[in-house]
Amino acid sequence: MKIPRLLQAVLVLAGVYFGFIIVFDVILGAVIPASLLAMYMFFTTAGVFMVFTYDEDQTRELVAPIKALVEDPSKRLWRNIVFAIVPLAAGGFTYVQMQPSFEAPLELRTIHPAPPSTAKIYGKRVNLLKLENPLRKIEKEDPEKFRELVNQGAAVYIQNCQYCHGDKLDGNGLYAAGLNPTPLNFQDVGTIAQLQESYLFWRISTGGPGLPKEAAPWISSMPVWQNFLKEDEIWKVILYLYDYTGHRPRSWEHE
Amino acid sequence: MMDRGSIRTVLIPVFAASFVVLSFGQAMAKDGDGDKGEAIYAKRCLQCHGEEGDGLGPAAERLNPPPRDFTLGLYKFQSSAFDADLPNDDDLFRMVRDGMPGTAMPGWGDMLSEQDMWDVIAYIKRFAELEGTPEKQIDYGSQVQSSPESVAAGKKLFLADDRCSECHGVEGRGDAIKKLKNDNGERTWPRNLTKPWTYRASNDPKDIFTRISAGIPTTQMPSFADPKSKKKLSIEERWHVANYVASLPKTEKVVRPENTVIKAVRVENELPTSPDDPAWDKASPTTFFMLSQIVGKERFFKAANDTISVRALYNGDKIGIRLEWDDRTKSIPGDAKAESIAEGELLEDAVAVQFPVKIPTGMEKPYFLMGDAAKPVTLWRWSSGTTEEAESAAILDAEGIDQQETRDAAAGFTAKGSYKAGTWRAIMTRPLRTEAADKDLQFEEGRFIPVAFFAWDGSNGEVGTRHAMTTWYWLLLKPSTGAKPIIFAVIVALLIGGVLVWWARSAAARSRSAAS
Repeated sequence: MKIPRLLQAVLVLAGVYFGFIIVFDVILGAVIPASLLAMYMFFTTAGVFMVFTYDEDQTRELVAPIKALVEDPSKRLWRNIVFAIVPLAAGGFTYVQMQPSFEAPLELRTIHPAPPSTAKIYGKRVNLLKLENPLRKIEKEDPEKFRELVNQGAAVYIQNCQYCHGDKLDGNGLYAAGLNPTPLNFQDVGTIAQLQESYLFWRISTGGPGLPKEAAPWISSMPVWQNFLKEDEIWKVILYLYDYTGHRPRSWEHE
Repeated sequence: MMDRGSIRTVLIPVFAASFVVLSFGQAMAKDGDGDKGEAIYAKRCLQCHGEEGDGLGPAAERLNPPPRDFTLGLYKFQSSAFDADLPNDDDLFRMVRDGMPGTAMPGWGDMLSEQDMWDVIAYIKRFAELEGTPEKQIDYGSQVQSSPESVAAGKKLFLADDRCSECHGVEGRGDAIKKLKNDNGERTWPRNLTKPWTYRASNDPKDIFTRISAGIPTTQMPSFADPKSKKKLSIEERWHVANYVASLPKTEKVVRPENTVIKAVRVENELPTSPDDPAWDKASPTTFFMLSQIVGKERFFKAANDTISVRALYNGDKIGIRLEWDDRTKSIPGDAKAESIAEGELLEDAVAVQFPVKIPTGMEKPYFLMGDAAKPVTLWRWSSGTTEEAESAAILDAEGIDQQETRDAAAGFTAKGSYKAGTWRAIMTRPLRTEAADKDLQFEEGRFIPVAFFAWDGSNGEVGTRHAMTTWYWLLLKPSTGAKPIIFAVIVALLIGGVLVWWARSAAARSRSAAS
């Protein structure tokens, strides 16, 4: 049996709509913003309309059921039902749309803002482009000493960082639920694996208040760690973050 | 971002719960290889539980509760009988796999394989040379399903002879009048049974039955299956109590991560002047998660309060906020009873609401911990008072955690508290607009106003920078929408209806003329 053209068009649109919902909301677990979905659906609808009205015959076929509903006297009952439902639905939709929104303002956020070329850390002006972890070279030179440094970094982490970033470095510490934005998940391949050690040093030592202008909305709860930790403690904790997760820091050499 | 976080927060307990359900009664203990477990322990466990398994890792000082000392071989959450000499392997497995909600112990089930976890358990057991299986198990009899009758029977037993209420309080909020310690001499507080997310080993009735029957070793939670106990309960009675305890959590206290806005409801008459006035129920509560102040100097790691529920009402002149939070102790310095149960020096309980001085026009807000020099904040503070001095209300002008100035209840600001069965309620009211626009927030209807909260538990040594806190959330003075939406809806419906009718008629006319 041939599916009527109008039903085909409706099915295509429904398929696209639910496809988005299933892929984003269910599979990826990241709820798709309503405005974005509306934009996708607008373009999809326009595209479907263009395809289905490509020539006159197709257009006629597409609108035939609608035309029949309005003009065919034998469909009178259905016409009355549809003509009652459509204005009511439109009125209801208008009513809902006119309600003021009490949803919290959307706060889009740059997760990894571009670092400034220099930053003032521990009272010194530091060139972030040239900055390297002074302890990293020990990894090759003296693996035993390096292990010791990683362990010291672990102690710093567990005393200071795990409350939010979690024992498992998965961003799910005891206090994570009370923070927005939620603490960074270092296990995720999209976080420290993408960054240089100098970047981590900058973010850790200057914290939320050290975020640059473009890192709106400046609500990170990250403390300013240069107020609490010594410089080498921060470098050690960075060693620990990479060691525990198995990620490697990005560096100029490998690119 | 928020969406992802909230989904995670919702899903994790669901997964954990399904694990718990699946694991019941399954004898699935496996042999682990302690030598392999040693390497896993060194990487994943040592930082808290210590190289020697004595719970003295580098973080021990800053964790509440402290990490378990494995050398004792005693575990709090065992399903072997109260007089058994060791826990079941499955008990250890559950603790490793699911973690301990409300503590720093995470569930490892998503990071370690089942075999890895058994290997770690084999290694952990070496610290106390635990071997074999316990001889006595809890007799569960046949489970009494929860019903209103069972819950009522459980409540009676809970309260009778002050059996459970002696520590857990008459409404289960852990508002005991006893100073509890564990076997190590560390201070412990009885569980607030109305907060299921703080139950270390789930609030399923079967788990609660297990706790009632086996007690919680190393703590003062006794076994109620012990025939020598004066407060002994039969199996059936323990099921009733378990069903009652499982019924205690109140949903409005549960944090819903997507609820970030306190919607202040407009009322036409005067705002309620008592914290317990039922008029507050006109506004629905929003509950926020509180964390310890670990951001600014001096940091504090062991805040007692973990949630706060907020409602707000306003009229043409004033705004009123009611804060509600569970606190096991009514901390009134000078009060003999309060002094006797406090941990350390007894201080006043207090709570504060923080607003920016100016409603931000962009996304930039003041620093959430008491503002900064560029963007000051105003704090409304209520303190419980002492036996000498009455409760007090104050306004703080702050530009950072160490930059605060106190103004006495200026600008018509009032605050009042009331304590009942383990819950504080504090109300604060202030005129919507004041003279001092450079220091006081001027409220506006329909604007999203950042708001944050702070709480001090005076029986837990909390004062100054030692407190619980939230990050920024929103307060909205919900404007009345008026008749506009309904008028527009009717107009749209009529217009579309008219067009349709006109279309049908003209089509009918066309077909008539075509026919003739």
